[in-house]
Amino acid sequence: MINDHILERIAHCVEFGKSDLKSPYPPDLKGQEGAQELTRAALDMGIDPGLILSAGLVKGMERIGAKFRANQVFVPHVLMSAKAMTAAMEHLKPLFLSGEVKRRGTFVIGTVAGDLHDIGKNIVAMMVEGGGWEVLNLGVDVRDGQFMDAVNSFPGCIIGLSALLTTTMVSMEKTTRAIKEINPTTRVLIGGAPVTEEFCESIGADFYTPYPQDAVDYINRLVPL
Amino acid sequence: MNSKEAFTATLAHTTPGRIVIDFGATPVTGIHVLVIKKLRAYYGLPDKPVKVTEPYQMLGEVDQELMEILGVDVLGLSPRTNIFGFENSGWKGFKAWWGQEVMVPEMFITKTESNGDLLLYPEGNTSVAPSGRMPSTGFFFDAIIRQKPFEEAMLKVDDNLEEFKPITEEDLAYWDRQVKNISRSNKGIIANFGGTALGDIALVPAPFLLNPKGIRDISEWYMSSLVRPDFMKELFDRQTDIAIDNLKRLYGVVGNKIDVVYMCGNDFGTQQSTFCDVQTFGELYLPYYRKMNDWIHRHTEWKTFKHSCGAVETLIESFIEAGFDVLNPVQVNATGMDPYHLKKKYGDRIVFWGGGVDTQKVLAFGTPGDVKKQVTRLCSVFAEGGGFVFNTVHNIQANVPVENVAAMVETLRKLNGLN
Repeated sequence: MINDHILERIAHCVEFGKSDLKSPYPPDLKGQEGAQELTRAALDMGIDPGLILSAGLVKGMERIGAKFRANQVFVPHVLMSAKAMTAAMEHLKPLFLSGEVKRRGTFVIGTVAGDLHDIGKNIVAMMVEGGGWEVLNLGVDVRDGQFMDAVNSFPGCIIGLSALLTTTMVSMEKTTRAIKEINPTTRVLIGGAPVTEEFCESIGADFYTPYPQDAVDYINRLVPL
Repeated sequence: MNSKEAFTATLAHTTPGRIVIDFGATPVTGIHVLVIKKLRAYYGLPDKPVKVTEPYQMLGEVDQELMEILGVDVLGLSPRTNIFGFENSGWKGFKAWWGQEVMVPEMFITKTESNGDLLLYPEGNTSVAPSGRMPSTGFFFDAIIRQKPFEEAMLKVDDNLEEFKPITEEDLAYWDRQVKNISRSNKGIIANFGGTALGDIALVPAPFLLNPKGIRDISEWYMSSLVRPDFMKELFDRQTDIAIDNLKRLYGVVGNKIDVVYMCGNDFGTQQSTFCDVQTFGELYLPYYRKMNDWIHRHTEWKTFKHSCGAVETLIESFIEAGFDVLNPVQVNATGMDPYHLKKKYGDRIVFWGGGVDTQKVLAFGTPGDVKKQVTRLCSVFAEGGGFVFNTVHNIQANVPVENVAAMVETLRKLNGLN
């Protein structure tokens, strides 16, 4: 019961973007502990870190993702939630590395060659991480070779490609084809303002969505916990 | 009706009898320098290194010859210094990575990184960190984020106010020359004075400042609307007062020789939604926009121009309430931005400047036939009863086939009864 309570508080902090005690946002939680302190406390109480991830962070990110998809919240809210999740993750990351907590798999994400835009890509990266995945964020202007190195280094990884510009959609196609050539079973998700379902099909990518939470749902279906 | 008369008629929501056209008058209605080169060749104009009039997005000059061919009705006046803080003067040759010889301002001083990226410097000053980066396969620059670590308690509004200053005598003399230069023009005039944009996300990183302080990171700026709204309000409040003082002095120089002021390019829309809700817009932005727009409408004959990409249908009522006369780029393929709906609901209260053809799909990847069909359809929707200036949805990018641009121009000529 006590466990449920603290896990729900963590989920609430992530959903509403309350990072830590110092954070003035949201105003109704001012002066209270945030995701960072509560995660530390949950670990100290001996709660299974996997449960903190699934019943705390994942739940909070799922809620904000669903609200974002329904246009009930906006980019700044999602950024705040991601910040809160990142603050909590600081305590869980050592346990991921030691193997104490298992994650679903590795998600490799980057903005394609020629494109420097990263807000949408980072939102997806953080929501996927909040969905219980290890995320390798390759950054912006990522060349084919870097994605292919990741495919080789992380067998079974899933790839996410982002592009904001019509001029760089061509890079998205090139990278997708290059990945599929070395490993046809690697799943490739694509997204970004000018990207469409039709384009996704035409370049042989596996999934397109305009909503980050749909991307999380899709890869979670591929690799259930 | 000459261009100016047709332009002012459409701004007044009366029928000018033809489609009024802009290509190149603003930094959001322009044409990439590579497409300008291709257009010149397509129309048999002499090949020449095209001037890069806006280096951030590598927009090219639509010169007199091309203007005539494209049927342009509007001229744009730009600020004395560009987004990298240097003047568009002292032109010199420059070869872009895609092989095109262009003309750039003398302070367009670059360095190439080992990976082929091109770096550009504020004020052309290479002793400070670069503020712009063009990827080795990219067609324009993006701002390099130069956010310094900060303590919340130490944040000062003055740091984000650095770029908003009283207008200088040098700038006033520049604007005096600008309006004298266009005194014989029979085209409509839009002026971009600068200083009136509130939180424009392209300007927050301040690629024009040598050493920007305050909040300059884009994500941090977005989060500021939640975490530190009072900081933003104070910034906008003080910025608005400076802007109005500057507008008073500018009006003293340019009078009513200009028709429209380019006020703000801050994007409030994503492809699917907005960056904030109506209530937040109403509290954070609207009062300051309205103060500037009200001053302009009370004291001048100028109209005011608001640019915002994306799915902003839910905010258009607020834009109108804030006093904007013109909305651009009217992203007709974004969620909720149905042209029929926009025209019916808002068309008699705000001028749609843009929305003539979708640039994310049709113009970039469609056939000339697709372009003709869409331009015809959208013009028939938007131009009815006036209140429409034709432009594509945002700038024409480097990858747009010249045949598609020509199909658009041909359709416009046909609609305007020209051969």
